[in-house]
Amino acid sequence: MNKVKGLFKARWMSSLIFLILLFLITGIADHDFLSYSNIISCFNTATMYTLLAVGIAFVIMTGEIDVSIGSTLCLTAAMTGLIAQQGGSILVMLPVVLATGAFIGLINGIGVAYFGVPSLIFTLGTNSVVRGLVYILTDGRTVENFGGAIASYGNKTLFAGITVYYAIAVALVAISHIVLTQTRKGKYFIAVGDNAGGARLVGISVLGTKILAYVLCGLFAGLGGFVFASKYGQVMTVAGTGYEMTAIAACVLGGISLSGGLGNMIGAAIGAVIMSSISRLLVFIGLPSTYDNTITGVMLIVIVVVDALAQHRSVEMSRRKRLLSRTAENAAEGGSKA
Amino acid sequence: MAANDRERTDAPRLQVRGIRKAFGQNVVLKGIDLSVSAGEVVALIGGNGAGKSTLMKIIMGIYTCDEGEVLIDGAPAKLGKPAAALAAGIYLVPQEPLLFPNMTVLENILMGFSENEGELKKRLAGHMEELGFHLNLQRKANTLSIAEQQLVELLRGLMRNARILILDEPTSALTFGEVEALFKVMRDLKRKGISMIYITHRLNEVFEIATHVAIMRDGLITLEGPVEKFTKEMLIAGLLPSDAQTQKQGEKAYKPVRYGELKPVMQVRGLSGYGFSDVSFDLYPGEILGIAGVVGAGRTELISTIFGRDKTLSGTVTLDGKDITGLPTKQILKEGINFVPEDRHYHGLFKIRSISSNTTSALLDGSEIGRVDMNRRRQRQITQKYVDDFRTKVVSLDDLIGSLSGGNQQKVVIARSLSTAPKVVILDEPTRGIDAAARGDVYSIIRQLKDAGVAVLMVSSDIEEVVELADRAITVFQGRINGEFSREEITQDALTSASFGIAHERKV
Repeated sequence: MNKVKGLFKARWMSSLIFLILLFLITGIADHDFLSYSNIISCFNTATMYTLLAVGIAFVIMTGEIDVSIGSTLCLTAAMTGLIAQQGGSILVMLPVVLATGAFIGLINGIGVAYFGVPSLIFTLGTNSVVRGLVYILTDGRTVENFGGAIASYGNKTLFAGITVYYAIAVALVAISHIVLTQTRKGKYFIAVGDNAGGARLVGISVLGTKILAYVLCGLFAGLGGFVFASKYGQVMTVAGTGYEMTAIAACVLGGISLSGGLGNMIGAAIGAVIMSSISRLLVFIGLPSTYDNTITGVMLIVIVVVDALAQHRSVEMSRRKRLLSRTAENAAEGGSKA
Repeated sequence: MAANDRERTDAPRLQVRGIRKAFGQNVVLKGIDLSVSAGEVVALIGGNGAGKSTLMKIIMGIYTCDEGEVLIDGAPAKLGKPAAALAAGIYLVPQEPLLFPNMTVLENILMGFSENEGELKKRLAGHMEELGFHLNLQRKANTLSIAEQQLVELLRGLMRNARILILDEPTSALTFGEVEALFKVMRDLKRKGISMIYITHRLNEVFEIATHVAIMRDGLITLEGPVEKFTKEMLIAGLLPSDAQTQKQGEKAYKPVRYGELKPVMQVRGLSGYGFSDVSFDLYPGEILGIAGVVGAGRTELISTIFGRDKTLSGTVTLDGKDITGLPTKQILKEGINFVPEDRHYHGLFKIRSISSNTTSALLDGSEIGRVDMNRRRQRQITQKYVDDFRTKVVSLDDLIGSLSGGNQQKVVIARSLSTAPKVVILDEPTRGIDAAARGDVYSIIRQLKDAGVAVLMVSSDIEEVVELADRAITVFQGRINGEFSREEITQDALTSASFGIAHERKV
């Protein structure tokens, strides 16, 4: 019973309920929305956002941010395409994109954790650098016509309409979730974001944990790039622009606190589905898809503001409680003397 | 070092030798020797800024010392980082427990271990049984009271087989009953041979729990030995500067305040808020009222509440007969109270603006320097006047404020608060981090304020400062006023005693 109760209290549970409500409400407006194939494709389209959200969740969990993942995705997608054009196999592509993603993550991690540059500023910088690399690599042209094996995987379904890539993404979510919440080292990410000073005091390396979080984030972005190339079969130089915001919004929607230390991967994955479904929802409700960005933006701001207010309130409450206990104690002592 | 070669079994468990540490120009520790043996509880007492926390952070490996060494069981230890100190069996229970608020108690305790979880849980259960703790391990840490958080911290220490526990003012946020419970635990630990360093501001507790006592003042240990050899009066004496009795400076510069003819400009009656309760005092024009007390006594909370930065729970504040209780800061400024904060960098300065912008920034709201098109000439006139008056060392009024020394920055902040012609100026630690020469200048500025008929409310942890400047003084102990002193009664001895909660003959 307690376990069930705990489940409903969990932050990701409210995201799931929100997702179901969204679907039901849209279903009332248009019954076709609730068809099996439509719901499944809501999940399938969330593949890339899911990968990015889980990756960046490691970083957000430590209390930092990474806005370079959109261009990392674009760079690795372009690399995938270029390798495919030359007839390279997946066995070449994967190591290359993963290494690239991890390297960008490492640079971010060192800049933020070792040099202490505010993470938003530093990753905004790497974002430009990596986007620039895309232009250098592709000569500013769209990478396309790469066909071959990789393109055929793009929409291959495994069973019941679920694509291979979404299945892989779900498996990675599950693994990351277990690592983050069940393993000792995984909990370090949460600990560092929850209370960096406390983490240091029990011997956790804050520096190492943050760098590792960025590397993982880069790895997921690299994998996301591979999936992007495979699904769309062409990579424009502006591909992935704004994906970082969607991934951050997915995490926040999924109950991960931007101040770090709170939330988990299941939430991030649910948030990714919500984010990728919004444009589809709008179509069914009958609003033009031009509303898409505005609505997701408003949603993001509302949630972040509510979260920040709640955090501020709880910090303030505990400060006041602490101060009150000081004077209350004095009264107790005075009373005992009298 | 020859002593290190012979490992003696009766070597103290923890020994520090000749520890020196400076932060920039500011020498915090000037050669500290201290040792703790098995089963000893050394109470470490000292005023604010004596260097206690710095010393503990060096032992814990959070800071590295400039000189000196730390020995564990007689062997020199290299404690460059907290992990090394933990491995050596040292555990610091910080003043504000550093738990992970969003994790459960169990997760908090086991964080950072690499052993098998089942084993750890078994050991934890053993420790809890032994000490008689009852705590639901699945509770989130942010639901724990401060006392419970400290128990969790202690358990963390025990789980790490800590043989040296450092407790930094553990009782400062505990209720009376909780203090008793903590002492019971400490006695159990003492019996088990665990060494403890116990930092406190409460002299009564020293005699209750400690086996040894050490007093720190100005980066030196001034008094040390078994607790039986001391009385409370001796401890107080150790906290005072050696020449305390002989000097009472500034007497010739002192102009007495004629209280008989004056009406108080500000009256505080029964004021309670977060961190203080039932505070009453009067403030007269042209006087300097010093508020003394130890850090955490509630002084900063008191003045920031008067200034409208925190919520008033009960009581009233009146200024010239007008009730200003609970008004927002902007309103309070308009009524004529100005505040020079303790931390210039966080609250007081616009670091990347010029000296003249900073000096006149409090006037931005009025029309004196223009609303839209700012009158730079007027700005410079005002600034020049204060720079001359205060002898602020500047090259140009357009220099960035960050280029000035601490003392000169403080002069600019005080100048700014004067530019609004206030009735009351509240100064929080006016000379913290300021060198001796500039300190004299700041003192003379404060005296100028007084001569101009401004009422000055000065919070200071530096008792010598209060003795030198104040016309009257009140002491705050654990959120309440526990002493009031007239100019004749202000001595370092009296203020120190009251700050540490030793009753003074004169009751308020």
